[in-house]
Amino acid sequence: MTDRVRPYYVPVGNEEQVFRAAFRQSLSVLLKGPTGCGKTRFVEAMAYDLGRPLVTVACHDDLTTADLVGRYLLQGGDTTWMDGPLTRAVREGAICYLDEIVEARQDTTVVLHPLSDHRRQLPIDRLGITLEAAPGFCLVVSYNPGYQSVLKDLKDSTRQRMVVIELDFPPSDVEEKVIAHEGGVDHEAAARLVRLGMAIRRLETAGLREVASTRVLIAAGRLVAEGLGMRDAARAAIAGPLTDDPVVTAGLFQMIDAYLADEES
Amino acid sequence: MVRSRPAAPAAGAGTAAELGLLASAIAGRPLEVAAAEPGQQPWTDGAVVFLDDQASRPDRIRTVAVQAALLGAGSLGPEILGALGRRRAVARRYLAVEGHRALAVHEAVLPPSVRTLADRMLAGRSTSPASSLAIATSGEVIADPPAVFGVIRPRDVRGHVVRAGVPGRDDPSPTHLPRREREQAVRELDDGEETGIDGAFDQFNPIGGGGAVGRLLQKLLGSSRSAGGGQPGADDATHRTRHGRRAAPGAAVSTAAAALPDEVDAIRRRGTTYPEWNVYQRRYRHGWCTVTEAEPEARNAELAVPGDVRALRQPLARLGTELERRHRQLQGDELDIDATVDARVQLAAGSAPDEAIFIDSVRRRRELSVLVLLDVSGSAGEPSPAGGCVHDHQRAAATALTLALHDLGDRVALYGFRSQGRSAVHVVPVKRFDDRADALMLRRLGSLTPGAYTRLGAAIRHGASVLEVEGGTARRLLVVLSDGFAYDHGYDGRYGEADARRALAEARRRGTACLCLSVAADADAEALRRVFGTAAHAVIPAVEQLRGTVGPLFRSALRLADVQRRVSQRKERTRERLQVERRRA
Repeated sequence: MTDRVRPYYVPVGNEEQVFRAAFRQSLSVLLKGPTGCGKTRFVEAMAYDLGRPLVTVACHDDLTTADLVGRYLLQGGDTTWMDGPLTRAVREGAICYLDEIVEARQDTTVVLHPLSDHRRQLPIDRLGITLEAAPGFCLVVSYNPGYQSVLKDLKDSTRQRMVVIELDFPPSDVEEKVIAHEGGVDHEAAARLVRLGMAIRRLETAGLREVASTRVLIAAGRLVAEGLGMRDAARAAIAGPLTDDPVVTAGLFQMIDAYLADEES
Repeated sequence: MVRSRPAAPAAGAGTAAELGLLASAIAGRPLEVAAAEPGQQPWTDGAVVFLDDQASRPDRIRTVAVQAALLGAGSLGPEILGALGRRRAVARRYLAVEGHRALAVHEAVLPPSVRTLADRMLAGRSTSPASSLAIATSGEVIADPPAVFGVIRPRDVRGHVVRAGVPGRDDPSPTHLPRREREQAVRELDDGEETGIDGAFDQFNPIGGGGAVGRLLQKLLGSSRSAGGGQPGADDATHRTRHGRRAAPGAAVSTAAAALPDEVDAIRRRGTTYPEWNVYQRRYRHGWCTVTEAEPEARNAELAVPGDVRALRQPLARLGTELERRHRQLQGDELDIDATVDARVQLAAGSAPDEAIFIDSVRRRRELSVLVLLDVSGSAGEPSPAGGCVHDHQRAAATALTLALHDLGDRVALYGFRSQGRSAVHVVPVKRFDDRADALMLRRLGSLTPGAYTRLGAAIRHGASVLEVEGGTARRLLVVLSDGFAYDHGYDGRYGEADARRALAEARRRGTACLCLSVAADADAEALRRVFGTAAHAVIPAVEQLRGTVGPLFRSALRLADVQRRVSQRKERTRERLQVERRRA
């Protein structure tokens, strides 16, 4: 995997130093930040830098302990044990990234406790063994405090085992760079998209469930790079994903026209 | 000066309204956009930007941007508006400077066509609304603002602009300009007297976000329980059983007899009779009590004030969502090793193996209906150790519980009860299961006044039967909010206690969980504890402490009811099997 190019990530603050330090000290990392601000990309870039394989698990509310740790499967007439992604990462010394950890069931996150503190162990009671984490294993979880429901907060006992890195949407100059690079558009178009994105982010109070993330801006950029007009791209990639409500959609279309239409229109 | 505000067009109907999001984005807070009355220049009242509907589209966008930027940059703060007063010329000069400054402040979020509008030179001269005002009141020559800027109408800007939350507490004292500066102001500009800020506040409305954007907000954030079909609350998978497929093959499942809707209506009209347990003779007195449902009053009394609903939501949300491991399922997370071995054995023995060899751990869906019975007998009118009367506290607790459970999507009803002898047990349906939790419910609650006596047993029997007939879910919870023990004609002491206990036992046997809460009352809690049992009764000194209590109390009550329901189902099944066997024999 070392011959691959580094996933594109532009640091905004000291997050890379913090991550490296935490990795060397075998501390677990909690990434906080809104959807689509680059959490996953950050972890990919760090895994590349540190030369560790990356195991990513997207958590959802039916994720069970067995999904993470492993389970017995039937093969012919026999049962065989199949490692789950977490067990695999523990054995190989990989970086295990649990995306949107809060979505997972509370009983599931409990298996992370002995792994995320100084013990660095994964007990597998089905097998009757306790795995010691291989050197290089690092647990990274992400958490989106704004968007997850109030009822699903991260338990204190889980949070306190983590080093926290807070990410947010990058400042406009960085975001322009990111969109130009990832979307494959020129800087002028990127700047316009960022401006629109920032305007929509100011709308947070107006009841959009999510704001325009870097991710949707990149998507719009990629459509533009394919030859689509700016407005059409933004309607499809920004307005569409953000809302289903016709009134809000109409408002967003107006905003898109105001920000992305050509000057003389 | 025209004060009336043209009605905002229906959302989505006109292009003006659709610019609302743009305005909100630039101002950084909810704003509406509407068409101004014909002939008026564009302006804003702090919540709505009025623009000329006839203007070209780019001009409309510019106007919206300027007016929204003014609001976002704090250019229309009370002290400024106070200073502008009726001085139109100053207001115009102020807009010419401050408009550019406001645009410059929001540069990063302005549409490209608006950015060219900002005069950076002019904007650079001012650093704050106050310094713009100083420039405006100086004798300097300032060009009129472009027409697309619109106008500032200081006396028509409403209190929305004030960001400080509570009016009165930090009364924004008008920080007028230093006298010396004001004296330097050119006299002829002064075409009105200093009016102070009073005018700006006469329509003070601390709750912003009304109008189209507010409605939108409500729509987006509001609970989504209004629509939706199917049986409410019951979203459990119906094909799954606790014990897997092997359990009781072919067993008949009987549910509690459901009354027909007609029957329910008749009960509402005529009243219904319930038996009462005579502990002295150890038998029921059949048809002893008559319970009538009185139509709830909704006088224009004050709305009942709920306790902290938000705080209750968290403990209540966890109810009924425990995980359950189900063995011998057709699908699941893990292999059920025992079932697998069985299946192999069956296969080896030459018969078709059972395919249900998995363990599934599923979270039980809520599937919960709750009926809250609020004691509105005379004793609730007594003063509470926590201040006020007991009724106020209990009502607040009932309201908070009802709203919190409603928010969580449970089926919930709220009934008040009181009695005057066995033939006049009144229950007041403040909120039936199908009613909405709205202002009407709060008004009905507010209209409840304590009076008369308490025949607890009859109220419990009626509550439980309503819960079973109308609740529509398998898990049911009856919550009695009462300050003390029952007393009615011929209904006291040991007799009353025994009857109430009997009524609870009947309900629990049918799988309805029952519990009792006493809020802010020092009445006869001991007797209630004897009736309900220590695990199903709690005394709470104040509504605020409800939060810590309801979780464990509700959970243990529901668990107990589950066990009892299972036991009675098992008995039922055993009886059926015995009958079948007897018939065969």
